[in-house]
Amino acid sequence: MTLVGVAVGAALAVVAVFIPWLPDAASEQADLIDSVYWVVTIICVVVFAVVAGVSGYAVYKFRAPPGDSDDGSPIHGHTGLEIVWTLIPTVLVTGIAIYSGVALAQAEDLPPDHRTIEVTSEQFAWTFTYPDIEVEGGNALTTGELVLPIDQAVRFEITSKDVIHSFWVPEWRMKQDAVKGITTRTTVTPTELGTFPVICTELCGLGHAIMRSQARVLSPADFEAWVEEQRRLAREGGAVQGADLFAAQCGSCHVLADAETLGQVGPNLDEALQGADAEFIMESIVDPSAEIAEGYQDGVMPSNYGEIFTEPQLEGLVEYLLEATGGGAR
Amino acid sequence: MAVDVHAPEAAEHEAPHGPPPRKGLKRLTGAGWLRALWFMPVAWVLATLLVIGCRAALGYEPLWELQVLIVAWTVMVPLAFLAGLGGFDYWLYWISGRPSRPDDHSGHGARTWKDYFRVNTDHKVIGVQYLVTTIFFFVAAGLMAMFMRAELAQPGMQYVDTNTFNGLFSVHASLMIFLFIIPAFAGLGNYVIPLMIGAPDMAFPRLNALSFWLLPIAGLIMLSSYLVPEGGAFAAGWTNYVPLAVNQADGNLMFQMGVQWAGASSIMTALNFLVTIITMRAPGMTFWRMPLLVWANFATSTLVVLATPFVAGSQFFIMFDRVLHTNFFNPELGGDIIAYQHIFWFYSHPAVYIMMLPGFGIASEVISVFARKPIFGYRLMALSLMAILLLGFSVWAHHMFVSGMQPWIRVPMMVTTLVIAVPTGIKVFSWLATLWEGRLHFKTPMLFALGFVSMFVIGGLSGIYLGSVPVDIHASDTYFVVAHIHYVLFGGSLFTIFAGIYYWFPKMTGRMYDERLGKIHFWMTFVGFNVTFFPMHWIGLQGMPRRVADYAPEFGNWNFVISIASFALGASTIVFLYNMIVSWRRGPVAPANPWHALTLEWQVSSPPPIFNFDEIPQVVGSPYEYGTRGARHAILNGKPTETGRAAEPMEIIHS
Repeated sequence: MTLVGVAVGAALAVVAVFIPWLPDAASEQADLIDSVYWVVTIICVVVFAVVAGVSGYAVYKFRAPPGDSDDGSPIHGHTGLEIVWTLIPTVLVTGIAIYSGVALAQAEDLPPDHRTIEVTSEQFAWTFTYPDIEVEGGNALTTGELVLPIDQAVRFEITSKDVIHSFWVPEWRMKQDAVKGITTRTTVTPTELGTFPVICTELCGLGHAIMRSQARVLSPADFEAWVEEQRRLAREGGAVQGADLFAAQCGSCHVLADAETLGQVGPNLDEALQGADAEFIMESIVDPSAEIAEGYQDGVMPSNYGEIFTEPQLEGLVEYLLEATGGGAR
Repeated sequence: MAVDVHAPEAAEHEAPHGPPPRKGLKRLTGAGWLRALWFMPVAWVLATLLVIGCRAALGYEPLWELQVLIVAWTVMVPLAFLAGLGGFDYWLYWISGRPSRPDDHSGHGARTWKDYFRVNTDHKVIGVQYLVTTIFFFVAAGLMAMFMRAELAQPGMQYVDTNTFNGLFSVHASLMIFLFIIPAFAGLGNYVIPLMIGAPDMAFPRLNALSFWLLPIAGLIMLSSYLVPEGGAFAAGWTNYVPLAVNQADGNLMFQMGVQWAGASSIMTALNFLVTIITMRAPGMTFWRMPLLVWANFATSTLVVLATPFVAGSQFFIMFDRVLHTNFFNPELGGDIIAYQHIFWFYSHPAVYIMMLPGFGIASEVISVFARKPIFGYRLMALSLMAILLLGFSVWAHHMFVSGMQPWIRVPMMVTTLVIAVPTGIKVFSWLATLWEGRLHFKTPMLFALGFVSMFVIGGLSGIYLGSVPVDIHASDTYFVVAHIHYVLFGGSLFTIFAGIYYWFPKMTGRMYDERLGKIHFWMTFVGFNVTFFPMHWIGLQGMPRRVADYAPEFGNWNFVISIASFALGASTIVFLYNMIVSWRRGPVAPANPWHALTLEWQVSSPPPIFNFDEIPQVVGSPYEYGTRGARHAILNGKPTETGRAAEPMEIIHS
């Protein structure tokens, strides 16, 4: 019996350790959560090995021979055993609860030098606002992708304009629902450079599966450069900036030959915008429900671009799209 | 061994029972399907006129408001169906002072297959009606899962649009939970519990019949939501979270109304079980001599009675917000979105135990009989059921660790959640100890019971991960949760339902099922189930959210494997259905007690006599005295009962 148990335990341990169950850990919180995960995994492997060992042994050892018509031993119970298998799980779950509680408190600990970012969700888009970064016209910097400097704690203040969404970056482990009418909070301290997906994990309607953005973690110097670039884009606009904006914000959903983008979620803009005028393009960006291209669902394209982009940016984007699709001849 | 056979054909030649059949136009006014068929369209027209009339009188525009009409239709048409079928006849006669028909129990028993389509007050007929109906909805919901897996087999959208996909998983879960698992256990309990406690029937046979007939109504309302114009089926998940549920197209009302009918059915059955178990036990059947299945249903029924009104309330609130324009969940006017989740989970977490405890009971019966041993630690097994019942009410917010509720409640809820592992662990260890030094017979019910124990342990352990707040923050709303609930509800509940159906099949039908097909069914299910659901743990932790019609391409390979395995799993159901149908018609005649079990239902013929026992049995001992020569559970006058047998040492079997 012990042999079966050890064999099962060893096999499970191999599976548990050598398969990368969790994505790369890229935040301080992820390290804490992963440590809880591994403590729970060790306990679970042992428990399952005991159960599999006992049942495997019993199934082999105690099977009745063909035609057997006797009964097994009349064992009704064993008080000592019953106390043992009440107490041991109690101790184990108490340990897990204490460890989890401590890790939770540490993960949610907020250092004083943190940055605050407001996250606004709606069907089916994320908007990120940096209240302490000012751009053209005294507005706070607002973007559709999340960009952070490494190693600085960030307090996300999350809300929703419509239904419930949930903000999650798997590599950071932290997740928080966005609820209309209240502000929910979570803390992340990114520790790895790179680009990570921002995923909505609460069913929010037709476009739930595509409600994604990305989080880029930069070195402090690169972050400062990015902020400056955002200030410049907000100030200048123009077709050149429009091309950059398109590649960053629109290309993941739309085909456009000029920008060499291949997104399949929304209409092919080479076809849909052929011969369109500036007014139509502007309306399609800020109010995508006004006219739906044939074969596509209403409500999938985010309706918040009028807020994410400044006036010069919008004009630059329209100017670029007019050039790229050969429209505006009228 | 006494073979007491009632060949099913012999009964078919007896005179038809019930009141004499009506002739001519009178057939249209007598209780039955004909009357139900014309009552329903009349009720539909009346409901429509009522709504349009009220709206015209109050000056509301437009007169044809589909939401309001759906509410009126889904209340009045089912009531008309029940009235037409004769569900209320006795009570209406009694209320109106007309002579009610003498209760001669002529409606008991089923002599032909047609009797299963009538209002019947016999708990055994109702039990079979329950099981056949729930298996129908199981197949329907399973087919929806097949469509989902076809769509998810590769990244991108192939067969359905996102709205249809959201409808598929919502209706799949709702049917599986409200129309399969919960009522399938109610059906097994309905058949077995009166027999097990030595009672001639349930305490309230007419209520029992009514609670069955509410079920097909609930199921058809949910299924027909696909027919709602503009938007189709309800698509906010079976959890139906607000504000999405309030914003959705009219099909969402079909979930709210369907749940009301299923919930009413559930509550009535639970009350019936409670009264039956408390008041109708045979002489000598003390609580400490009750089989564990009876204990399990006692605990389950208590949960149902206390918790189900909360889910009914939560869905009424949504309906009021939609139809009456109240603002329970509208934050702009003081409503509270998270309050919905508290009310919903205050039912829906106990509902997990409503879907699990009867399975614990079935596993205890089956494992004890096929290990030929007394159940290990009987009293602690019963007490742990009651402990789960109590703790089950104190853990609901573990579904809401990332919901944005008040943060302080997370740690207390984590502690109570993890503590439930203790009584659950007691049950698992006691089942294993029951196997120890037993003589195991691997018949199909035993295979499913052992499959249940091992799969449920995995489901329980993944529950520890989700119970720990920090891990849950990462894993909630991912495929890890999908894997977890399927290990609990498929590996747990469904495996025990199959164990119970195979175990009591000879008792219910008087025929034996095909053992070879049963084993093929088990192994296809067991392997298909694990290959389908185990990889979901991994893709969930890696970052695949649940309830998505499309996903990141890196999960494509695993989803393809999962889809192929799920089709094999779906195919196993064909083996099961074939075995059930063919064995019911042509299987070998079953003896009264093919498993040599001690509990009371096996001491009467297969199927049992119309009133179960010719004389009420006298219970004299525990139901699990295997291994004690001559030990009896009960004495039935004039009939030999099974006794415990000697425990011969088995040291030479496997050296």
